[in-house]
Amino acid sequence: MEIVMPQLGETVSEGTLTIWHKSVGDEVTANEVLFEIGTDKVEMEVPAPTSGVLKEIRVDAGETVGVGTILAVIDDGSAPVTAAPAETPTAKAAPAAQPLAEPTAAPGRDKSLKLSPVVRKLLAESNLQPSQITGTGRDSRIKRGDVLAFLNGAPAAPTPAHMPASSGDGRTVVPFNRRRQMTAEHMVRSKATSAHVLQAVEVDFSNVDAARRRAGSKWKAKEGFSLSYLPFIAKAVCDAIAEFPKINAHVEGDNLVTFDAVNLAIAVDLDFEGLVAPVVRDAGSMAVVDLARAINDIAARARRDALRPDDFQGATYTISNNGTFGTLITAPIINQPQVAILSTDAVIKKPVAVVVDGTDAVAVRPVGVLAQSFDHRAIDGAYSAAFLRRLKDIIETREWAAAVP
Amino acid sequence: MAELTYREAVAAAIAQEMRRDENVVFLGEDVADAGGVFKTTVGLLDEFGPLRVRDTPISEQAIVGAAMGAAMTGLRPIAEIMFSDFFAVCWDIITNQIAKSRYMTNGQVALPLVIRTANGGGVRFGAQHSQSLENWAMMVPGLKVVAPSTPADIKGLLAAAIRDPDPVIFFEQKSLYGIKGEVPDGEHVDTLGTAKIVRGGDDVTILALAAMVSRALEAAEILAAEDGIGANVIDMRSLVPLDTKTILAEVSRTGRVVTVEENPRLCGWGAELSSIICEECFYDLDMPIVRITTPHVPLPAADDLEDHSIPSVGRIVETIRREVD
Repeated sequence: MEIVMPQLGETVSEGTLTIWHKSVGDEVTANEVLFEIGTDKVEMEVPAPTSGVLKEIRVDAGETVGVGTILAVIDDGSAPVTAAPAETPTAKAAPAAQPLAEPTAAPGRDKSLKLSPVVRKLLAESNLQPSQITGTGRDSRIKRGDVLAFLNGAPAAPTPAHMPASSGDGRTVVPFNRRRQMTAEHMVRSKATSAHVLQAVEVDFSNVDAARRRAGSKWKAKEGFSLSYLPFIAKAVCDAIAEFPKINAHVEGDNLVTFDAVNLAIAVDLDFEGLVAPVVRDAGSMAVVDLARAINDIAARARRDALRPDDFQGATYTISNNGTFGTLITAPIINQPQVAILSTDAVIKKPVAVVVDGTDAVAVRPVGVLAQSFDHRAIDGAYSAAFLRRLKDIIETREWAAAVP
Repeated sequence: MAELTYREAVAAAIAQEMRRDENVVFLGEDVADAGGVFKTTVGLLDEFGPLRVRDTPISEQAIVGAAMGAAMTGLRPIAEIMFSDFFAVCWDIITNQIAKSRYMTNGQVALPLVIRTANGGGVRFGAQHSQSLENWAMMVPGLKVVAPSTPADIKGLLAAAIRDPDPVIFFEQKSLYGIKGEVPDGEHVDTLGTAKIVRGGDDVTILALAAMVSRALEAAEILAAEDGIGANVIDMRSLVPLDTKTILAEVSRTGRVVTVEENPRLCGWGAELSSIICEECFYDLDMPIVRITTPHVPLPAADDLEDHSIPSVGRIVETIRREVD
């Protein structure tokens, strides 16, 4: 197929070939950028109209040639062609400039190569390339929803490669699905980015238990879910953050950016089929019961795949709840670009030393470990430890029973 | 709630405020004896008498000049300019005197006045009586600009405009005078500078004003039914002050914006909105901003041509179909 200098505008008769992106002999794929041209009015990248091998280059970079001049030949397996150019735009006898009429979409504009500002932002934030995303817009344009679907792990275009394949030798190959790929990429990037340090405190949950007992079965009957430890921990985290604002932050380049509002990401396991971390927005302004409802809502929606794009945006701190399975302590990986993440592990009854009427004694108390990984680039151990001490103090001493109905 | 027409809501609002405050007076051409050429002020003369409800000579300059003087000396005048097109003859008093008095006297002279006017086209009045001129008023520092789309908003926003301590230009869209809607009984006062989300949707945000609101809503229903496009429609209600908080939040949420404007395209209010949106939430945009407007032409009198000029439901549907992907 012969490649010709395209018509760049109704009044343009020639263009300068500025760069070849391919050399003779290279394989080219349809829609891949083949060369760039410029005129006194525009600069543009020109995609290959067909796939094949670049057989011949007839106009070198730097040359200025007329519209329609043959620039190159791609051997696309078709018979020798006296090809018409991919597009033969006819120079319309358009009336002289109509700047005030409503513009209509330029014909032939290739939207697959145009990324909207929000798509560029999302790709940059998530370290993604456009080629990783399947565009579902007109002309395969990548829309915001396509990026978010990719980030949420929704298979935009299911590929057979993601099905488990048994090779007959006792090995089963399960290719990572998108969510797995995203998680893998994020975890490795986080470890490579942040200087993780783990600190943990052991916390007595007696006062929280009193509140949960008070809410009891009434709560479950009314709300449809049990009141767990998590909303109390979330409330205490928000209150402790108010005194330690550097915990509620992002690292952006060489800057620590702190936030007034606590947007709390809650890691939700999808029945062993992946992990998502939707956000409870402005959690600091919420009462314990509202936090309980909000966390239950996002977790329930996560499990039935009904989270909205907004549910993933703007998290400033993350809690990962591993306690369900009885773990003692978990060293979580920071949810980038945040500064710290808390793991809540099992709360179980244990003998602990207490002071009763000035005398040491052993009592049985509900106890659990709260473990925080923090980014030592951003804050130091003393700051994180002081935050954890305050968190422990709030959970142990607050009259939580007053906070539930 | 009572069902009132848009025109009846005008009289209801003025009567409500004249009963409440004896300093509120009303003047304009044919507003008293005749009850207004659009019958928007029927009954006011009977209830409040010729001292407070006055017919004036056909001189727009005299009307706004008298209103300015009355406001300076302690009254709260409402002046009617029969067609907004006639602002052109009294612009000096409005823009050069009324809009600037508080500023130039360091607050010693405030002008709590409202200039009401019948604005816009669609009723075959020709090029000199059909213009939608909200963008003219919007660009003058010192003027507030309100343009309601429903009878309830006419009552609530006109009452708020009358109580406002500064000059408010109040655009009534004359193609809407006949529409009916529920209007709260008793005293009803709304807040200037607040937009209203009148339809929810996740795919595209349509910003519309006055007569364009109902067309945008109708278009949104068609797009939902036939194309599965969820349009959320915002009734701007007021251009100055502008409720950027609501508008930008909705624009950021959907990432796509379409304005529907009756004013001519060049320097229409949507151009200013586009500029603000690009400055404030460029990185949330998922599509170029699209403006649907009356073209930059004097409005034709011929039925077909006028209908073709002002954004129609069909044009809104087709444009959004074409541009939203």
